[in-house]
This record gives sequence, C-alpha cells and structure tokens, in this order.
Amino acid sequence: MNDTPKVPGDTPEAAPARKDAIAWLEERLNLTELFSFITHFGIIYTPIDTQRPLREQWKKIVETPMVAYARWPHILGLLTALLFGLEAFTGVLLAFYHQPTIAGAYDSTRSIVRDVPLGWLVHQVHAWGSSLLVLVVLMRLLRLFWDGLYRAPREVLWLSAVALAWIVLQLDFTGLLLPWDVKSYWSAVRGLEVVWAIPFVGPFLSFLVGGRTMSEDVMGRFYVLHIIVLPALYLAFVYVTFATMRRVGLSRVTDRGVAQAQAMTTFRRHIADLLIITLVLFAALVTLATLLPFPFHGAADPYTTPKGTRPPWYMLAPYALFQVPWIPDWVFGFGLLVVAACVPFLPAFLRVMGERIDEPRLKRIGLGVLGLWLVLSVIGIFVDRR
Amino acid sequence: MPEKNENDAPGVPGGPVTDRRDFLKTLSRAFLGIWAVGGATALASYLKAPEHNEASSERTVRVGMLADLRLGEAVVVRHGVKPFFVIRLDATKVIALSAVCTHVRCILTYDRDRRAIVCPCHDGRFDLNGNVLSGPPPKPLPSYEVLTRAGEVFVRV
Amino acid sequence: MSARMWEGGSVRMARLARLTLLVCAVSCATWAVSQAQEDDATKPHGNAFVTKSSGRCGVCHPSERVAFEKSRHAGEDMRCTTCHGGNEQSVDQTSAHANGFKGRISRADIPASCASCHSDQKMMRPYDLPVDQMALYQTSGHGLKLKAGDTKVAVCSDCHGAHDVLAASDPACRTYVTNIPRTCGNCHGDSLLMAPRHQKDSYHDYLKSVHAKELFDKGDLRAPTCVSCHGVHGATPTQVGDVNKVCGRCHTAERRYFLAGPHADGMAKKGMSECASCHQDHAIQAGATERLASGCVSCHAKGSKEAALGAQLLADYKTADLAVSRAEEQISKADGVPLQTDDYHSRVEEARTYLREAMTAAHAVKPDVMAAFTARARSVGTEVETEIKHKLLNLLVEKVALLVFWFYVVMTIGIIRRWRDRGPKA
Repeated sequence: MNDTPKVPGDTPEAAPARKDAIAWLEERLNLTELFSFITHFGIIYTPIDTQRPLREQWKKIVETPMVAYARWPHILGLLTALLFGLEAFTGVLLAFYHQPTIAGAYDSTRSIVRDVPLGWLVHQVHAWGSSLLVLVVLMRLLRLFWDGLYRAPREVLWLSAVALAWIVLQLDFTGLLLPWDVKSYWSAVRGLEVVWAIPFVGPFLSFLVGGRTMSEDVMGRFYVLHIIVLPALYLAFVYVTFATMRRVGLSRVTDRGVAQAQAMTTFRRHIADLLIITLVLFAALVTLATLLPFPFHGAADPYTTPKGTRPPWYMLAPYALFQVPWIPDWVFGFGLLVVAACVPFLPAFLRVMGERIDEPRLKRIGLGVLGLWLVLSVIGIFVDRR
Repeated sequence: MPEKNENDAPGVPGGPVTDRRDFLKTLSRAFLGIWAVGGATALASYLKAPEHNEASSERTVRVGMLADLRLGEAVVVRHGVKPFFVIRLDATKVIALSAVCTHVRCILTYDRDRRAIVCPCHDGRFDLNGNVLSGPPPKPLPSYEVLTRAGEVFVRV
Repeated sequence: MSARMWEGGSVRMARLARLTLLVCAVSCATWAVSQAQEDDATKPHGNAFVTKSSGRCGVCHPSERVAFEKSRHAGEDMRCTTCHGGNEQSVDQTSAHANGFKGRISRADIPASCASCHSDQKMMRPYDLPVDQMALYQTSGHGLKLKAGDTKVAVCSDCHGAHDVLAASDPACRTYVTNIPRTCGNCHGDSLLMAPRHQKDSYHDYLKSVHAKELFDKGDLRAPTCVSCHGVHGATPTQVGDVNKVCGRCHTAERRYFLAGPHADGMAKKGMSECASCHQDHAIQAGATERLASGCVSCHAKGSKEAALGAQLLADYKTADLAVSRAEEQISKADGVPLQTDDYHSRVEEARTYLREAMTAAHAVKPDVMAAFTARARSVGTEVETEIKHKLLNLLVEKVALLVFWFYVVMTIGIIRRWRDRGPKA
C-alpha cells in the first residue's frame, strides 16, 4: 500500500524500475478500458475511471469496502454465469474434434471420449456441467419465486431468469443429440415428438429444428442452435441480469439478512471467494467426471429402440404424464405451452390479480406445484409404458 | 490477480520474518505457476490432433495383379496423403514412385509418350528414376520398394 | 366280460363286418363306375386306365403307367410305343405286342434309344435342351466300358430313371443337385459293385467332405457335387495334372499361389495328384493349420529342409494368430469396462481376414509370400492390443491423478484464502 502508484505511459521517466508486461502494455493501449468491459458481466461493481492506469484502479477496486450481504442464495446467480463459462470453454474444445454429421458424429465423439488425451475429461466435464447448470437455473427460479423477486422493480430479473432456464433446457436437449450414441439419438427422437405435440407453435418449432423426423438437417440445426444461437441468447440474458442488478441492486429481502447487511467487507474478499468457488466447482466437476462418468453408449441404430430409455431427470414429471395412455399427447403439449406462457408473466399476472392473491397463498400454490412435480418425477422413474 | 500481492507487504529487507514471508510467497507463486503449466500442458495434449498415422498394416499396399498392369503405363494408387505411381516397365520390372511433387506438393501426372513424370503446377519434370529433369522441384521423387508375390504386386510405402 | 363271451361275440361281429365291407365295396364300385362314365363324356379315351400318353398299355402295366404319367415325358409327343414299339390302342396282348414291339430294352441299347430323340437338334430345340449328351457319354468312363461290352455301368436310366424321368429342377428328380451324390452313390457307394473294379467307395468319402457339409448341412446349392468335378454325361476320373485346374475353378487364389510355388512342378514330375495329395480326393477337408508343418513329412523326410520350411510357415502363422487372439482378449476386457470398441472389432476382423489369406498364400509354400499377410495380421493385432492396454491403464491413472489434483485444489484454496485475509479486514 505504500508502493508508488504507476503512471500511464505519457510520463515514462516516472515508471518504476521494474518493467513488467502490464506496464509495457499500459504504455501502448488503454488496459483499464479493456478491463472495464468485463464489469458488464457483473464481476466488478465499482465504477472504473478508464483514464487511470489499471494497477491503480485494481488496487482501488480490491480495497473498495462493500456490504457483506452476498450470501448462499446469491451463489445460484453466480453459478449460472460460472458454469456457463466452463461449458463454453469445454464446448469450444469439444468442437475442435466433433463432426456434426450423422456419419461422423459418433466416431468423432468416440475418438474424443476414448482416444484424445484428456478428451474424456473435457467431454465428461461438459456433460456434468450441463446437468449442474440445469439444476442451478431451476433452483434459482425456485429461489427467486420463494423470495418474491418477481415483484417490482425486479420483473425483468424474473423474466431473464425464466429465459435462462428455458435456454438451458434447450441447450441440454440440443446438446444431447450431438454424440449420436444410442441414448442421445432416442431422447432426441422423443424430444422431436414432444416439440411436435405442442399446439399451435409445435409445427413451427419443428420446422425450426429441421423437421419432425431425425435427419441430417435436424443434426445440423441442433448443432448450430447448440453452439451459436442458444449460447448467444444465454449470454444476452446474463448481461440483462447483471444490468438489472446494477440498477436495482442485489436482493436483500430477508429480515435475517439485516444484521449481515451491516457487516462490511472489501472487494478483495469478494474476488477471493469468487476464485475459491470457481475452483471448488471445477474440482467437483472433475471429480464427478472421473468417478461417475456418463456412460457413452454404442452408436445409434435408427432401427432398434433400446429398452428403458428415460428422459433426463428434469423431464421425468412430464414423462410420467406422457405415459398415461388415456391422456392424449396434445394435453401434455398444451400444458407445456401454458407453463411457457404463464411463468414468465407471473408479475403481470399478479398485477391483474391485485389484492386477491397474497404472498403466503402464492407460496403455498408454488409449494403445491413443486410437490406435484416431485411426486410425478418419482413416478416417472418407475413408470414404464406397458 | 493473486500475484498482485507482491506489492502488498515489502516489509523491512533482510529481516527473518520477511525472509520467511518471501519464501512463502515464492512457494505460493510456484504453486500457482504449476496450475498455469499444468493447464497449458493439458490443453496442449488435448489440442494436439492425434496423428492419422497409417497403421503399420497399411504400409504394404496391395496394388493388384501384375497381369492387369499394362506395359509402359502408370497407375495412380490413392494412398492417403501419399499417392504414388506404379509403372510397369517390362514383363517383370515394376517401379513405384511418389506422385507428390517435391516442390509444392502438387499431384504429378504421367507422360506416357515421353516416359516422364510432369508436374501440372510449375512444369517440373522427373524421369522414371525419380531424378529431376527440369523445372523447380528441389529434390528427386522418392521411390518405393515393389514386391511381386505369386503374380500380385505389393508396394512398401 | 369274459373271454368266452367275447369270442362268441367276435364271430358275429366278424360276419357283420364282412357284410358291411361288401356293401361299402359295392357302393364304391358303383360310384367309381358312375365317375368313369362321367369321365367318358369328357375324355376321348375310354376309362381311367387309358390316357393320352400311355394309351391302353396302362391297362395291363399299371405301375409303369403311373410312373410314366408323373414324368416330364408325359404330355409331350411321347408314348409307351415311342421306346417300346407295339400298338397302344389294343388291350389284347397279341395285337398290342406286335407292330415292331421291342419289349424291355436291353441296357446296352438304352443310350441309343434315348439319343434317338435327345440327339436330334430339331426335336430338342423347342425345349432348349442340349443334344450333346450322347456324344459326351461315349467319351465317359461309363460309355467307354459299355462299348467294351460291360453292361454293369451307368446308362441313362440309372441316373434319370426309366419311366419316371423328371426335370432336373424338380427336387424329387434324381439329378437335382442335392440328389446327385446319392444317385452316383447308388453304384459308387456300393462296395460289392466297386471292389471287383478296384474302385473305392467314393460316395461315402464324399459325405465326409467339406463340400458335402456345405451342400447338406448349410444348404448351399452351389457346393460342388460329383458332377462338378467329373463332368455330367462325360463323367471321367480327373487326371493328374488336371486336378489343380478342376479345383482351381472355384479355389482360384489357392491355385494361383500353388502354381507360383515349387510344388506345382515337383508334383507334376512325380505324377502326384496336386490338390488331393494333401486334401484327399473325395473326403476333401479344409487344411488344418497344423498341417502346414505336419503335412510336409508325409512326402518329405523328417528333419529335411522342407520340413523345417513347413515348421517356419506354421510358426509365422501361429505368432500372427496369437497376436490377433490377444487383441481380442483385450477387446473383451475393454467391452466389460465399458470402453467403446466397435472400431477395434472391425480391425480385428480385418486381421482375421489377413490370417485367412495367409492360409491361402501358404499354397505357395514360400515364407515371404505368406509373410505379406501374417505380418499384417500380426501388426494389426499388436497395435490393437497395445492401444487398448494403454487405454485401460489410463482409466487407473485417472483415479490416481484425481488425488493429486485435489491436493492441488486444497493447497490453492489455502493460498487464495491467505491472500484474501492479508488485506485490511472489515
């Protein structure tokens, strides 16, 4: 702290004796401005003076006192961003080898999983990361609901949280097809049927993903959706999320949090905790990938449907409904449509309802729906058609 | 970001406490450095595409029956990135020459009338021993060993 | 009921039964006559025993009539009289057996009798049948012996039947593919018939062969039968020197390698039957691998350089085979993990193909010719084995590396915490 502050390059004689890479760059470009770019994604809260050198700014940032109210519930939002970063990184690595064609998908995935050094790790971390990401975005939705974070002024936060959840589910769905092994093929085939079963928009969505039956087109579109379109949308909504936070601040809703809210900390602690969480997350994923790898099945055979294929865990509840023979498919599709329409517009719905529905009652309804979902999921584990 | 702590506590130079702290600091840095080295190594080992070496079983290429090769004509055998000519010179003599120009890796053509191998890119010419006759190729063409077994022609690449 | 009572009853019962039978017979006869009368209205030739093809001959020769009616000849311009002469319109023996009646045709005359039509191009053309059978037959072992006065040789009717000549495409026909061995075996499997002629029982030998297995057990109608090698109408034993040509019609690669090797000339000089010397003539067996070495000493001296050569061929083959087997062992290990091995399966299949080709190439009895294939099989086997071993080992290394990794993670967290707590605390 008693170190002489570094000066930008217009006064080189004032620079410290030890010239490192940062100082060298500082003389040639506005590093601080570049650095300020990442603040858009929520890592830094303090305003940054882009006219000052980076080290100086960094020190300022690190020592900024901040309110220590960021607690465990807040970590879900952080994890959606961190996990996405990890998925993007491993996804890019996978894309180096993966061939998104029916002829090449399985062979190239097999070579990643089995032949390329550490390919199995990249593949498994990507697979486990996606599972965790689904879990995290859904839990985040629950927690936002529970804490009432859909009310003014956080309607946009709620909307983007719902959007993130939908995008993650679609990412999982499209990504599952890409290895083209038995499991991925058949879950995608069933998924296409589900898409088709949605009333009104189903056929349109089917066109969008390349048709109702599996073909090279579907493969190509799933690939593009998975690696470009959906991640870009996701990133956009992450940005929106952080933008709302810069406007309305982190939530501090619980009374219990009041005492903690008074505690002050520095940004240094915040960044260190962030690093630790990232590291623990990464280590957890590596451990899961090594000890509990997702099985990579044999190549998909379009003429043999394997027995006992199950949808991913978050689709077990709809699956259970789907297995009841007397419920026609369109009911299920209609239900999906209703959920898709209602959940994002929860704030608007509440405004219309006004005083007729109070928060405890809404929470009870929410708990009821969650309970039903859990029960159906358990049924979905055991149910089998015929 | 963590390496910023170098500026945090310069302390009084020479003191035993500082020595210990400096040592710990160096140790920590070495430790973090291993992350960088390890990460870079892991990434490099992943990114290095597995070489598509032809398996050793592929190194002996079956060309076909000797009786099917016409005298004085060349057959191009499409063998991965190393295509080669098989040319039957007379009743028993068969030669195999690389079909990749030593200049900029164009695929050569065989000029039957002049009994020469010609590069379509820069008009480099080779004779049937692989020697450069004219043009830019810097090196002679590599030739491969030809084995004739029970009337069948094999080339060892 | 006592036995006595039953006896008394049985006499009565027997009478009753006889009466019933009589009634039945009468009624049947009445029915038959009425049927016959109905037939008379539609058919030109009287009753049921008289047909267009057999005329009235069948009235007295019913079994010949029945056989003839089923034959390929019935319904064509063939009558009993075409071969036997006589008058088919008469049922009176004297007038029927007149008019150039020949009666039973002697065995020596049968070929000529059949050839009177079957060598006639004009008659055979509408049926798209060849007319060279007689000419071929005369060159055959059977035909030559017949000419020399030996009538106990096969003539047309022995293979085709006398009255019941069927089309060769009819599975009931004696000359249908699957029936040919038995048809020839009627004589050639009869040791009483063959022993005086110093011929062996080649029919039962054939039944032991791979060809018979292929034909009867696997139902492969393209599998060779007697006629495939010996000829059909011109059947003769295959001459030494021609054997490789006959076998080589199907086993082309084996023949090519055989001719490229030293055995071709050597055997020709010694007058040895080429393929049959190792594989037998009729009880033909696929060469067992071990015979690469053990087969040599049946002609060459033990310890000779030829025997050593055979031992070398076998050793080459076995090394390659072992490498492939070990690769397969690793694959089944990997399948249990599970590690995806479909591409390895196809590579081993490729190696097995090389091994089979090596056995074919062994006919040249030259180590370098065979090595072209054994070396490939061996290298594929070794590559697959090392690759899978490496991958299985990696699975173990991963678990150990995970421990080291966690050590680093924990230490790094410690370092970060130290850095975090160094700053001014709130």
